[in-house]
Amino acid sequence: MCETGETNHEPSTAGETAAHPAATLRLGHLYPDQLNVYGDRGNILTFQRRCAWRGIALEIAPIGASDQLDPAAYDLLFIGGGQDREQEDIARDLRERKGPALRAAVEAGVPLLAVCGGYQLLARFYRPAEGPELQGAAIFDAWTIHPGKRVARCVGNVALRWNETTLIGFENHGGRTYLGANARPLGAVLSGFGNNGEDAREGCVVHNAYGTYLHGSLLPKNPHLADHLLALALARRYGASEAARLLPPLDDTLEWQAHDAMLRRVGVSPTTPRRLLIP
Amino acid sequence: MSTSSRTSPNIADTMSASDQAVVTERGALSRGRAALAVIGGRGAGALARRLRLGAGTSLPGLVAGRIDPAITARLGAQLRHGSVVITGTNGKTTTSGLTAYALRAGGLRVWRNREGANLLRGVTAALVIRARPHGNLRRRGDAAAVFEVDEAAFPHVVAALQPRVIAITNLFRDQLDRYGEVDTVAERWRTALATLRGATTLALNADDPSVAALGDGFRAGPVRYFGVQDTADGDTDNSEDDRERVDVMDARSCPRCRAPLTFTQRYYSHIGHWACPACGYARPAPQVTARAIVPDGLDGTRFLLGLPDGEREARIALPGLYNVYNALAASTAALAMGIGADAITSALGAFAPAFGRAERIDVDGRTVRILLAKNPTGLNEVLRTLGTHTRAAHLLLALSDLPADGEDVSWIWDADLERLAGTGAQITATGTRAFDLGLRLKYAGASATHIEPEIAAALWHAVQATPAGETLYIVPTYTAMLAVRGALERRGYAPHYWEQRDV
Repeated sequence: MCETGETNHEPSTAGETAAHPAATLRLGHLYPDQLNVYGDRGNILTFQRRCAWRGIALEIAPIGASDQLDPAAYDLLFIGGGQDREQEDIARDLRERKGPALRAAVEAGVPLLAVCGGYQLLARFYRPAEGPELQGAAIFDAWTIHPGKRVARCVGNVALRWNETTLIGFENHGGRTYLGANARPLGAVLSGFGNNGEDAREGCVVHNAYGTYLHGSLLPKNPHLADHLLALALARRYGASEAARLLPPLDDTLEWQAHDAMLRRVGVSPTTPRRLLIP
Repeated sequence: MSTSSRTSPNIADTMSASDQAVVTERGALSRGRAALAVIGGRGAGALARRLRLGAGTSLPGLVAGRIDPAITARLGAQLRHGSVVITGTNGKTTTSGLTAYALRAGGLRVWRNREGANLLRGVTAALVIRARPHGNLRRRGDAAAVFEVDEAAFPHVVAALQPRVIAITNLFRDQLDRYGEVDTVAERWRTALATLRGATTLALNADDPSVAALGDGFRAGPVRYFGVQDTADGDTDNSEDDRERVDVMDARSCPRCRAPLTFTQRYYSHIGHWACPACGYARPAPQVTARAIVPDGLDGTRFLLGLPDGEREARIALPGLYNVYNALAASTAALAMGIGADAITSALGAFAPAFGRAERIDVDGRTVRILLAKNPTGLNEVLRTLGTHTRAAHLLLALSDLPADGEDVSWIWDADLERLAGTGAQITATGTRAFDLGLRLKYAGASATHIEPEIAAALWHAVQATPAGETLYIVPTYTAMLAVRGALERRGYAPHYWEQRDV
């Protein structure tokens, strides 16, 4: 159906950086050993490759459950999703150790991507079907209520309107998330459940922190969101105009083919423009 | 909301299963009902065959279970040699095949459920088609049954059958959208095992922490463990050299106290010699073992099989360490069924690969080899087994997201497709999620040379691109494997799967 041939950006080994990088970014990956269930590696890999293809060095630092978090140490933060019992341990670590530092980083404008369980954990609280309420890091003015095992989970492909473009992903969550009165959603649900299947809103954005239920992995098929987060990170460190220079367009033909194929599957027409780069 | 609220494939099973546990009716009335169930089930099956509904192999079970919810328990109880139930994330079909061969080598008549018909209704169907219209099993039930059972259907099947042996191969993340997380699956299994009333032998993988832990507190009968003692070629993740491999570990914490586990040997994923430094819980000593494992190309594997009466040389016609585990699971199950060591060893050697599992098919002078891979650990093990064979190889990778595959394809990002980078392999990507696969390959540094969602078209493209005398390796998800195999069957290159010999 389509010959892709060689990509014009010579693929290099993941994690490899140019000898003289044009810029350097430091990505803090929160709880990589516990929160890694829903293809979260694809998000990290997307940051990695899209930086490498532009000669940007991306240093990835795992931040484990017993580590202290230095709010000034990272240009970009990522937290993924995990199994329920692991999320209890993480909630405790956020409460007792990292919560204030993480809030400080977000308030200072550090871009953060929180997917699925990570999104729930960074909101106000998670009320399980049974058992005690889990306090979250309260970065997002949102909370999650699990309606019980007898209520169907929100599972399936999901498409959002995000600014003038679309986002596509897969969601699988039992909990329903509700936003506070002044909280801003990430996007409007075009197909799928989103936060709760009721108000057609998905995710939450505060400062440069993005919480969402979308995986799939999220970033490979949404290269404009990946570049947007990279642009935010570069702009903080190098200034907006330098960020634009450091992020030339890539050949994203395949990324958009995969994006559009799933959009069409759920009955949503692909949009232009594709890019939404500089904040 | 346009997202369909998908019904679980097991709804019908769930309904009849809870009823099946309660077999209260006695006497003529219930016998009459059982007879009706058999007649109805077999009639539905015959009709489906006449209408050429193809692989409607569960239909007799579905119909019979509707007429008499206790039919599975009733017929299962008539099996003179009882039943073996095999579950786990990977290796169910191969382990069932190996077990059936071993039981047969030991002189038993063996009845199995059909490939893919592994929900309760598939098990019921396998019994109903062997029953006579008056509601009793043929040959006075002088047979043993070997059933491969879906992870989610396991509790219902176990409750109905009260099996003589249960073998559990492993537990990895698979179809998170359908099965849930691995902890959820393990908990469901544990609950099901706790309901067993009779004498059941439990055969467990000692090297998989969450499977081994199912033996903890098991009361219904003996627990037998199988495990790999060492591999001859140091084929473990500890010794892997070139660079950090992408690996998926689905059990990294102690099943008893949740502290992080340590591994003195880790063969793949979380499979190996594990121990908990906090509470001391560790891999149980296995009674059935393998060591000195030597691959014989992609056509087989040789190893020393340790059974309670000593060690002997064994060979299976299957590649990869994961298939050695399948052989160990089958050997442990067969031992528990009273089969002798010599019969087991010869059966392992005689077993021909199951449909789509390292199966070899000749296509106009080219070898086509199909290696099913349906989750990250399965795909990693297939890619690792292919190893150097991928150098300048011809590959067809197929990713579909139909309900039987799992609709969430995130897992490809957790699999080690980076193994294909720099191999110079010619890769065709296909399946309903061909573009996702193409994208994954791009980010792995191993671009697809051709992307074609339509599977048959992609297959013939890949076959044409493979010179005569060379091999095309096909690595598909489950429904993609059926589509590949169907396309080969339609052109006469492979036997229809229902014509393949059942044992």
